[in-house]
Amino acid sequence: MIEPRVLLGVVTGAHGIKGEVKVKTFTAFPEGLADYGPLTTEAGHTLDVETLRPAKADEAVVRFAGVADRNAAERLKGQSLYVPRSALPPPDEGEFYLTDLIGLSAEDAAGQVIGTVKAVHNFGAGDMLEIEFPDKKTEFVAFTDANVPAVDIAGGRVVIVLPAYTEGEA
Amino acid sequence: MTRSVWKGPFVDGYLLKKADAHRGSGRKDVIKIWSRRSTVLPQFVGLTFGVYNGHKHIPVLVTEDMVGHKFGEFSPTRTFHGHSGDRKATKKEG
Repeated sequence: MIEPRVLLGVVTGAHGIKGEVKVKTFTAFPEGLADYGPLTTEAGHTLDVETLRPAKADEAVVRFAGVADRNAAERLKGQSLYVPRSALPPPDEGEFYLTDLIGLSAEDAAGQVIGTVKAVHNFGAGDMLEIEFPDKKTEFVAFTDANVPAVDIAGGRVVIVLPAYTEGEA
Repeated sequence: MTRSVWKGPFVDGYLLKKADAHRGSGRKDVIKIWSRRSTVLPQFVGLTFGVYNGHKHIPVLVTEDMVGHKFGEFSPTRTFHGHSGDRKATKKEG
């Protein structure tokens, strides 16, 4: 069985003439790119991070081992950088990796499948799950004990209690 | 230019009535609202509003940190689906 991988960044181009590259990171902080061991490309080539410095909120300037000049750096442009899912440390109590939640089957309290978890968002008012129903419509559900009483990553399911809405005046 | 202090925060009148009625009933429903321009007031803390984003109502559980902001700030009108990376979600109580 192929081990699932997590996409942590994409090389967007060369930086300078000493073999550094710019990487758009998908980690919580740009420094997190080097926290989980060697990175692998789409084709399976391994890249070891030698140095890393954050450039923007979602960008880092990285030097990989064996990439010594700009020509070699330019050849990496467009490469996606992955780590195996098993490289991520276990989350704390009550925390879940987004990569684990996305794609889970959403079930109601009776065990009936009502949709899938399409995405997890945080717009400033806490995390919320975007549930996609079979008719492709979506609904946001706050990621709280009341709305999501059970999360079973191993079983591939979450239990969802859809919130009741009270109509307000327009 | 900032709003004059003597005017106080702006909030649509129906929201206050709705929040008071909801708090009195003790229900935990999501209150659908369309008023993105209203300021979050201290008496809204603990209530959940479904703030319209032009498409659907986004549930917003009001906490103390949100007081003084506008409801619309928590219900973006454009949604970007990025990569998840190593980010984590935290399940809240309540």
